[in-house]
Amino acid sequence: MDFELSEQQNMLKTMARDFLSVECNKVKVRDLEESDTNYDPKMWSKMAELGWLGLIFPEQYGGTGADLLDLVILMEEMGRNITPGPFFATVALCAIPIMKFGNKRQQANYLTSIAEGKSIWSLAIEERHGGYEASHINCSADYDGKHFVINGEKMFVPYAHIADYFLVVCNTGKDAGGDGGLTTFIVKAKSRGVKIEKISTFAGDGQCRVRFRNVKVSRSDVLGRINSGRKVLDMIMQWGTVLKCAEVSGACQAVLEMTNNYAKERIQFDKPIGSLMVIQHQLVDMFTDIEGLQYLVYYAAWLLTQGVKADVQISIAKAKANKVYQRACIDGVKIHGAIGFTMDHDLGCYFRRIKTAEFMLGDTSLHLEKIASGLGL
Amino acid sequence: MDFKFGEKEERLREEIRQFAGVELAGRNTIAGMEEESNDEDWEFAMSMSRKLARKGWLTMAWPKEYGGQGASYFEQHVYADEASYWGIPGTSMGVSGIGWVGLSLMLFGSDEQKKKYIPLIASGDPDGVWCTAYSEPNAGSDFANIQTRAVKSGDEYILNGQKIWTSCAHRARWCWMAVRTDASVKKKQHGISLMIVDMKSPGIIIKPILNYAGVHIFNEFFLDNVRVPVTNLVGTENRGWYHLMQSLAFERHSMAPQFFGSARRILEFIVKYARETTYNGKTLASDPIVRNKIAERAIELDTLKLFGYEITWKMSRGVIPVYEAARNKAYCDFFMQRLATTGTEIIGAYSQIDRASRWPRIMGLITRLYMMFPGLSIAAGTDEIQKNIIGQFKLGLPRAY
Repeated sequence: MDFELSEQQNMLKTMARDFLSVECNKVKVRDLEESDTNYDPKMWSKMAELGWLGLIFPEQYGGTGADLLDLVILMEEMGRNITPGPFFATVALCAIPIMKFGNKRQQANYLTSIAEGKSIWSLAIEERHGGYEASHINCSADYDGKHFVINGEKMFVPYAHIADYFLVVCNTGKDAGGDGGLTTFIVKAKSRGVKIEKISTFAGDGQCRVRFRNVKVSRSDVLGRINSGRKVLDMIMQWGTVLKCAEVSGACQAVLEMTNNYAKERIQFDKPIGSLMVIQHQLVDMFTDIEGLQYLVYYAAWLLTQGVKADVQISIAKAKANKVYQRACIDGVKIHGAIGFTMDHDLGCYFRRIKTAEFMLGDTSLHLEKIASGLGL
Repeated sequence: MDFKFGEKEERLREEIRQFAGVELAGRNTIAGMEEESNDEDWEFAMSMSRKLARKGWLTMAWPKEYGGQGASYFEQHVYADEASYWGIPGTSMGVSGIGWVGLSLMLFGSDEQKKKYIPLIASGDPDGVWCTAYSEPNAGSDFANIQTRAVKSGDEYILNGQKIWTSCAHRARWCWMAVRTDASVKKKQHGISLMIVDMKSPGIIIKPILNYAGVHIFNEFFLDNVRVPVTNLVGTENRGWYHLMQSLAFERHSMAPQFFGSARRILEFIVKYARETTYNGKTLASDPIVRNKIAERAIELDTLKLFGYEITWKMSRGVIPVYEAARNKAYCDFFMQRLATTGTEIIGAYSQIDRASRWPRIMGLITRLYMMFPGLSIAAGTDEIQKNIIGQFKLGLPRAY
């Protein structure tokens, strides 16, 4: 039993906090929300130089061989600061599945380039339903004897407008029924027949609709095996969800810190509002929720590093993260009063991202259902 | 980071499981609940205390020189969790002795007191049963407001006043009592002392207070010229408040693993019940509302587990938990309420009837938890007091009262 961060994790945490406070203050966050690209290529290169992009890749592919818990610590800091850009999409949603399911050639081709900051990736999975069940995936890929031909539409694809490659989850076996026929393809963003359109979200976080019309991909661009995409999808759901939860956990910590400081400074009725029991108890509830979330995320990540089945604990972390983030932001605004409701206040940057985080990789209902099934219900 | 116990702890868990299988065959109990209420349950609890004492588990936390095993915090954690899971009665002998009197005496008791009282507790015998008298009619959350007077007269103190909500006073051989030895102080925290009171002393009157479920746990406690030898003063006269803060810390740390143990068993029963019970031709488990509620409770259960792990780990590193203990107490209270309420909603109208009836569901365990949780959330400091502690000591907020 040990809750302590390793020396390396503490170093990473300090480095990330220092770097982001300089490179990515909230003025910059707002600028990036408004910009066309929604990310800063210079910051991206610096992140590559710091070794963040390849943090958990093997050394032979330009990585540092760190483990998931190290990446969780980094994501926590990125969430705490708010770090716009395609880091999560590239590393968590695409690079990790390539590490786990890619063949030697794919790993050598793609991982090194990601680690060097030379290519941006995104995952195209959700469709109009906005869900993550295999039955929600209608985008088809039919084999014409030479190529797979992809047709369909994907929604909420993060940073697709600046991506070089996509992982596209397609239904390749309607006849196989349900989960049997999913396949994940590597698709160049510039391929013929790919059409990308930005969705205007409150968070200005570059989510897109991507349409595929007769897009041809070769057999060698399948990630993993044909019709075994369920495995890839499960893995993305596990690792990606833990990392998304780590990001949310960091964001919650920032909201609490901001609100707690404000409660100590803001004077009404001749005393700090933080001396009023009703405000104190709201802050304490917020704190307990957030500390609980942090431990649940570490626990789920640790289980994955042990190679233990962790589906229930991952869903527990995500369902908790969805609720805790929303509640922290709402109570945070209430305690701040009107100032917390303005564009100028940093709290809004966190508030605008509640729904992005909540619906990424499964909403609360989906995860509650997974927990219930896991308990044997 | 690492979230597993060692082999030694896992072996202990297995041993406790086997012990419970043999000793509790056919009984279904929730640990620490109501065992002092009726004679039959109390006798069974005491018979278990003696067995636990022989196993060396009853006081495993104590150092070897005091008849303990010097068990690590991790072993204590596993014991608290697993014994509660099986609902082994008698693990606390009315709580006080095992929970804090022994440990407090080791810290600030006299040699004579240590020699006399510690082995009695460790034996698991009825002569080692204690109660604790802190609360008074006008000293609840504002505990420093106690008025029960102890006036020195030669080599005795003479005690007059009233205590209330004294759990287990009707079973206890000794009482761990806070009294006012100096009424002239400006700050009411000063002038308090701790004493050991022999429950057989003349002038003590114990009157039962039944809770709303008709269960006899706590009591009114009247003192009319009760004589206590000065050698029964614990620690330093008028410094009792500071000794008490230490005793209260002992009281709070084991709460999370204990309730986690009970709660994980109850949740297992609820899942089983939902799978096996049909309503309108469908199992309860197929109802999305039931599924959601149970999943929510599972999230809370895991959160409590990790809060418990964290405090145990911190104590193993020499940290004295302050806000952590308050957080765990408040979280237990919150979760107990949720779990009990969900449980009653799932067993439906049967949640009105107790285990003694012809038709109990889940052996009446849910019902008992439901009838108990408001009381448990007040005992050992209300949620509100715990949240004040967290606000002040963790979030650095100004005192609210």
